[in-house]
Amino acid sequence: MELHILIVDDSPAMRSFVRRVLEVSGLEVGLCLEAGNGEEALRLLEDNWVDAVLTDINMPQMDGEELLRRMSEHEMLRSIPVLVVSTDRTEGRIQNMLTLGAMGYVTKPFAAETLREELEHSLGVVHRTE
Amino acid sequence: MCFTGVVASGEGAGPPEADGTLPAIAVVLQFHGSPSGGFRVSVPLKLARAVGVAFLGREETEVSDSQAEEVVCELANMICGSILSRQSKATFQITHPEPAPPEQDVSFESAGARCWFDLGDGILTVSLELQQTL
Repeated sequence: MELHILIVDDSPAMRSFVRRVLEVSGLEVGLCLEAGNGEEALRLLEDNWVDAVLTDINMPQMDGEELLRRMSEHEMLRSIPVLVVSTDRTEGRIQNMLTLGAMGYVTKPFAAETLREELEHSLGVVHRTE
Repeated sequence: MCFTGVVASGEGAGPPEADGTLPAIAVVLQFHGSPSGGFRVSVPLKLARAVGVAFLGREETEVSDSQAEEVVCELANMICGSILSRQSKATFQITHPEPAPPEQDVSFESAGARCWFDLGDGILTVSLELQQTL
């Protein structure tokens, strides 16, 4: 089953990097959407169902914390696993995001294997191309 | 993500042999929290393109100067976030990195630090300024 993923980060370079990691990870990714902030992400989620959201925290207009809060309050969106990808590795931030409902937390910089493992953990299943 | 080796490093403005006339990319960002301040990364364009190639996984001819700048912005974001996370347990906010004139001489000497790293393809300069608290 192909995965639909939403990548949320204000850095075009990071979005490209995450997309590339997903493509070579062995995960069967069918659709990869991108958003530059939480507001754009919510607009995309209005019309597109995704299997997981990968989001940064520090973003203009709407940050990852607010995005996670809005998703957790939404009847349909709250069931989508959210994986946080951030430079912030402080314990307080990590715990806060997990308390808000994030399924996993990856700190930048990260190895491709780390992102793949955390995403698989968040999804709860393993999707491999044979 | 992308790996590179450090040939040499030091504190201050940089090694005497660093060519300040080469095209360069500089980005700045602000961070708010405890502490607050500014952060700046400057790299020669040649080095920025090399880092961009490695980060984006593309051929050198496929990486534009603007894409190299975007990678430097993300590099600044990661370095700054890593430093702040290790120095303070308090959460912080980092602004979106913005390009800055390479020739701009930011006065980061008063309350901060400046370090340089020779990555082989050029010198990466990092400057950190902490806002004084009363």
